[in-house]
Amino acid sequence: MTYEFELPDVGEGVAEGEIVSWLVEVGDAVTEDQPVAEVETDKAVVDVPSPVDGSVAEIRADAGEMVPVGDVIIVFAEDGEETATDEEPSDAPDSTGEPASDTDDERVFAPPSARRLARELDVSIEAVEGTGPSGRITTADVRAHAETDESGSEPTQAIESVETDSVPATSASREITLAAPATRKLAAEEGVELNAVPTDKTQEGEAFVTPAQVQQYAQSQQAAQAADVAAIGAPSGREERIPYRGVRRTIGQQMEASKFTAPHVTHHDEVDVTQLVERRSTLAEVADEQGVSLTYMPFVMKAIVEGLKEFPALNATLDEDAEEIILKHYYNIGIAVATDAGLMVPVVDGVDRKGLLQLSSEMNELIEKARERSIAREEMQGGTFTITNFGAIGGEHATPIINHPESAILGLGEIKEKPRVVDGEVVVRSVMGLSLSIDHRTIDGATAAQFANTVKRYLETPELLLL
Amino acid sequence: MVVGDIATGTDVVVIGGGPAGYTAAIRAAQHDLDVTLIEKGTYGGTCLNHGCIPSKALLHATDIAQQATDAEQFGVSFDEPEFDLPTMIDWKNDVVGQLTGGVEKLCKANGVNLMEGRAEFADENTVRVIHEGAGQGGETVEFEHAIVATGSRPIEVPGFEFDGELVLSSRGALALETIPDELLVVGAGYIGMELSTVFARLGTDVTVVEMLDDVLPAYEDDISRVVKGRAESLGIEFNFGEAASEWTEDGDGIVVTTETEDGETTEYAADKTLVAVGREPVTDTMNLEAAGLSTDENGFLQTDEQLRTDIDGIFAVGDVAGEPMLAHEGMHAGEIAADVIAGEPAAFDNRAVPAAVFTEPEIATVGLTEREATDDGFEPIVGKMPMQASGRALTMEESDGFVRIVADEESGFVLGGQIVGPEASEMIAEVALAVEMGATLEDLTSTIHTHPTLSEAVMEAAANALGEAIHTLNR
Ligand SMILES: Cc1cc2nc3c(=O)[nH]c(=O)nc-3n(C[C@H](O)[C@H](O)[C@H](O)COP(=O)(O)OP(=O)(O)OC[C@H]3O[C@@H](n4cnc5c(N)ncnc54)[C@H](O)[C@@H]3O)c2cc1C
Repeated sequence: MTYEFELPDVGEGVAEGEIVSWLVEVGDAVTEDQPVAEVETDKAVVDVPSPVDGSVAEIRADAGEMVPVGDVIIVFAEDGEETATDEEPSDAPDSTGEPASDTDDERVFAPPSARRLARELDVSIEAVEGTGPSGRITTADVRAHAETDESGSEPTQAIESVETDSVPATSASREITLAAPATRKLAAEEGVELNAVPTDKTQEGEAFVTPAQVQQYAQSQQAAQAADVAAIGAPSGREERIPYRGVRRTIGQQMEASKFTAPHVTHHDEVDVTQLVERRSTLAEVADEQGVSLTYMPFVMKAIVEGLKEFPALNATLDEDAEEIILKHYYNIGIAVATDAGLMVPVVDGVDRKGLLQLSSEMNELIEKARERSIAREEMQGGTFTITNFGAIGGEHATPIINHPESAILGLGEIKEKPRVVDGEVVVRSVMGLSLSIDHRTIDGATAAQFANTVKRYLETPELLLL
Repeated sequence: MVVGDIATGTDVVVIGGGPAGYTAAIRAAQHDLDVTLIEKGTYGGTCLNHGCIPSKALLHATDIAQQATDAEQFGVSFDEPEFDLPTMIDWKNDVVGQLTGGVEKLCKANGVNLMEGRAEFADENTVRVIHEGAGQGGETVEFEHAIVATGSRPIEVPGFEFDGELVLSSRGALALETIPDELLVVGAGYIGMELSTVFARLGTDVTVVEMLDDVLPAYEDDISRVVKGRAESLGIEFNFGEAASEWTEDGDGIVVTTETEDGETTEYAADKTLVAVGREPVTDTMNLEAAGLSTDENGFLQTDEQLRTDIDGIFAVGDVAGEPMLAHEGMHAGEIAADVIAGEPAAFDNRAVPAAVFTEPEIATVGLTEREATDDGFEPIVGKMPMQASGRALTMEESDGFVRIVADEESGFVLGGQIVGPEASEMIAEVALAVEMGATLEDLTSTIHTHPTLSEAVMEAAANALGEAIHTLNR
């Protein structure tokens, strides 16, 4: 029996993908889960695994081709079966949007209630794994399938397997690694995952890593990245054409949609963060002891939440179709992160309900994942407000583009020591630029300025956050 | 729109008030849609007026007579039964009247607008309602959605146009006011067999001619054999491999000539002949083309799983939308179409549609036969329970027949069942539930069945498939 494999819908909003490369050729034997192609969707590059044991009967899309979700990209001949042209169930919903009709040869055993639920949740019942007697599909199975589908577990798995070969020095992958606290700190500073550092040392039967090993691993990684960049950037000729596709194009379209939909106004201000700088450095020591590196970001997030509570218009979405403004009573803050693939915005959920340490570690983890491209789709969804920390690279002010359909974005400049007048005397203070862009359709300039004032107040006097 | 027409608008127009149509209308109204049901004849359609209900009424009435006669062997005897056919027909009409009146009331109570007349498409959003009789204007109904449920009619054999006198359709046969002495039945399908049974019990000499080589050709041999044996013991004669070719009047009666494939002819003299060679969809009453609809090669309107035709907003359900042409299939489809229109995630994704034949004894089947299961790539196991081994069947003196269950060997999933025996039409419901639910043989055998009942035979047949039957030898 042949198995026609359609380009799966790897998640919300993905309508097509580019076949980056084929990892197999017609006639190759494949085993289940073996990657057969690299596909770049709007959101990420994913490996597409073979769904069956068998061989490649036909390849229907060329490398470099954009393929709509649901199109057959490859046909497998399953092991032990003569080639026939039976249509096989696939994960992707029928292109017509109608439930695919069942033929008896792909009969699935499920009660009518489960079949109906599957239609309701837009799940292809053939794809659901049954846990009932003899594999009968229950309504619970359908729900479970729908949930894993939504959380994109399959695509995520695929993402995680992506491009591990770009890390040149062999990297280990362990569950447990023993190391001295100082080593852990070093690893955190270098952005190195301890479990990934290769070692032949053990203590008490577990892998043990030394600071020297961490250093060496960090360096080899940086070198590899530099090499990657050099390889990509090496220009040939006077001009070069690079594809405007995948993640880059998604970013572009997102920017375009935002800028053309929401009339932007950017409010610039400066905040004296001298106290904050002091507070953070004392707290950072405490945090370090707990293995968390505490940056300014959690303080800013907290200050923003206070501002948003006072001025809910900035934590809102304009629903043009319904002619309504949706004010959100939850505070999920996105952090714009520059990655090799481009801009990504991981979202920290429920900022109002979390402490600084928790925010720190969650944020660090998300950023790490975004950089490694192992971030799951839903970890970048559901944001209500975004921060862009352009100052980390340099610059005091910018004109950030709102992460549509949110209503506002706050850009943070570099913290610089500057002469400031305090009580009639010129003194050295730590100062940070703020650039707040708002959707002027729903937010007035005055509201923006007031919001900025609130945020400033909390950043100037971080103790207020304790109240 | 024609000048003088009254125009109205509706969310859903349903054309035809048979089981498929009225069910769709009521369900759509339950979804708070504005529904208009247009019927050119009587509410309830074929099934209530000229099909399922009248035939079952007469089968029951005549069965009483049959049982009274058979009771002698266990020591209860009556005089020869006497039949007052006009009274029987009146009673049957009362039953029909109660049901069709009920349908009308239910429609109204659910807020369905009822319109009498023949609906004809003007375009893909409009129907005209034509009232029979001169001087009656037309009405125009604009619709968002239409559900076509125009049903089916008996196929006419060329040369055998129904005249209600000598050449009868099932409808005519169910309305006879006198008992014919001799009846020739053309066609040994389920309608021919049911009506043959009625008349044989009424004392008519019934002869059946069938073009194919067996009774109920759609069923497996070991099933039709049981029914054929009983029919013969009622005095019904069978002649196979013959097709009715022409007829002539002979005094008050009729002489029908049949022909074999080799051209051999036979003549049958009878008072009347009933032609029951199948049913065809009714698609010529509503000007399909105006809506852009067309029929498939078998004359049906084709639909997808959600009962949509090719034309946006137009659905088709019931006999007009294809096999199996059965009332319960139409009713279910009617509900689905209404649900789909209301935006629910409904689809006609049923695994099996049960079918019953109300002969003596009854036949009822659902899902796959052993053969079909093999053809579909399953490795079936089969279990059988003869009615001979059922205590209940013996107490009823009804021990002909059996229950057979077909399941997938590896998983135990029940794929189908065939029952021939008393109350088969009732017993099949359990097997249908099993097939639809994806129940396994073990589910059937582990469910306690009331003793002594016929339904225990379903459990026993399942047990037999597993090699665990108590009351039969496991094969
Ligand atoms: C003798 C006999 C016995 C049967 N026994 C059984 C049985 O035991 N079990 C079973 O399941 N089925 C049985 N059937 C079959 C069953 O009657 C049909 O399957 C069922 O009636 C189909 O329902 P329907 O709604 O599709 O069509 P119908 O019942 O045929 O209804 C269609 C209706 O549409 C109306 N109509 C047609 N065109 C128009 C128009 N243009 N405008 C307005 N109205 C229109 C007709 O007047 C009719 O009332 C039997 C049939 C016969 C003849």
